[in-house]
Amino acid sequence: MRQALILVALAFLPGIGQAIYFRDKVSWQLPVPASEMVTVVQARAWGENAIWIDARPDEEFARDHVPGAVSLNEDRWNELLPQFLAVWSPEKKIVVYCSSQSCNASREVAHRLRNQAQPPMQNVFVLEGGWEEWLKSRQ
Amino acid sequence: MRTHIFAFTLSIVICAAARAELKWERTLIELHPAVGDKEAVGHFKYQNTGNQPVRIKSVHTSCGCTAAQTQKDEVPPGDKGEITATFKIGDRTGTQVKAVTVDTDDPVNATTVLTLKAVIPQEIEINPSLVFWGQGEAPNPKTIVVRAGKDFRLKHLTVTSSNPDFKTKVEQAGTGEFKINVQPRETSGIAAATLTIQPENSAKAFYATARVTNAPAIQ
Repeated sequence: MRQALILVALAFLPGIGQAIYFRDKVSWQLPVPASEMVTVVQARAWGENAIWIDARPDEEFARDHVPGAVSLNEDRWNELLPQFLAVWSPEKKIVVYCSSQSCNASREVAHRLRNQAQPPMQNVFVLEGGWEEWLKSRQ
Repeated sequence: MRTHIFAFTLSIVICAAARAELKWERTLIELHPAVGDKEAVGHFKYQNTGNQPVRIKSVHTSCGCTAAQTQKDEVPPGDKGEITATFKIGDRTGTQVKAVTVDTDDPVNATTVLTLKAVIPQEIEINPSLVFWGQGEAPNPKTIVVRAGKDFRLKHLTVTSSNPDFKTKVEQAGTGEFKINVQPRETSGIAAATLTIQPENSAKAFYATARVTNAPAIQ
């Protein structure tokens, strides 16, 4: 019994050490479960049943975007939301993307959409690799 | 053999003596912008405490909403400077955490991640901000809860619907809390309304949406 407790205590040590060492390092990436991520191939297979949302800033959307995508970013959320709602219906899948794998805007927008509707908006997915991955798939 | 040991020792001594080091005053800055502020700016100050110049190779941010600028590309020994990170607030809410990654030619600490945390004040919280009914669903009322944000007072509010087919009724649910009951006249066709929520003593209007969608609502 004592040995088991010692082992448990030892198992906690690296975690405690990390928590103390990184106490001022705050995560800036919103965690998204794997079930809420989607690849370009999967999302493209949904065809007309998917609504693509571009979470990048306006100027990047204006430069180029996924055909048919709707712009919805947090810079102008209140202004852009009605455009998205006009094309949205509950049975459709929503694919949100930002510029790359490391960007966070798509996660933030997806999180906001899921949590701001009653009943909760389902079928909201974050595109793995974002716009960069979409460009690669186009080549 | 002796020559090898001497060369090895000498290289270590030279490396230790010729060091370049960028010391940061703080790598985490928390900002509390005021209501209506368009942006929040953080100043990350540094000093080269080594005796070799440090070259800042690149500065990039985790979000298109944050711009970072460096005062100088090369920092001579003893020199001070700062990286300015400007976070565009836009329509963001709550606590926002953004990262600024600084890459240098410092052999010991080549990469530093700076963190900008902005706590955006919210006059009111609206939950949910979208209520919807599926076509053919019973047109029962749905409730939107409006609460005063931290450090704000909410005594009274008015709600106007852009579409007369959606009726609204406001009732107080507690101190600084209101319930807006929204009810569509019917759900036989697609319809939508923007609900303008105007708190008393606030210059800003807030919005929620009510819709009858073309598919059965997910229960």
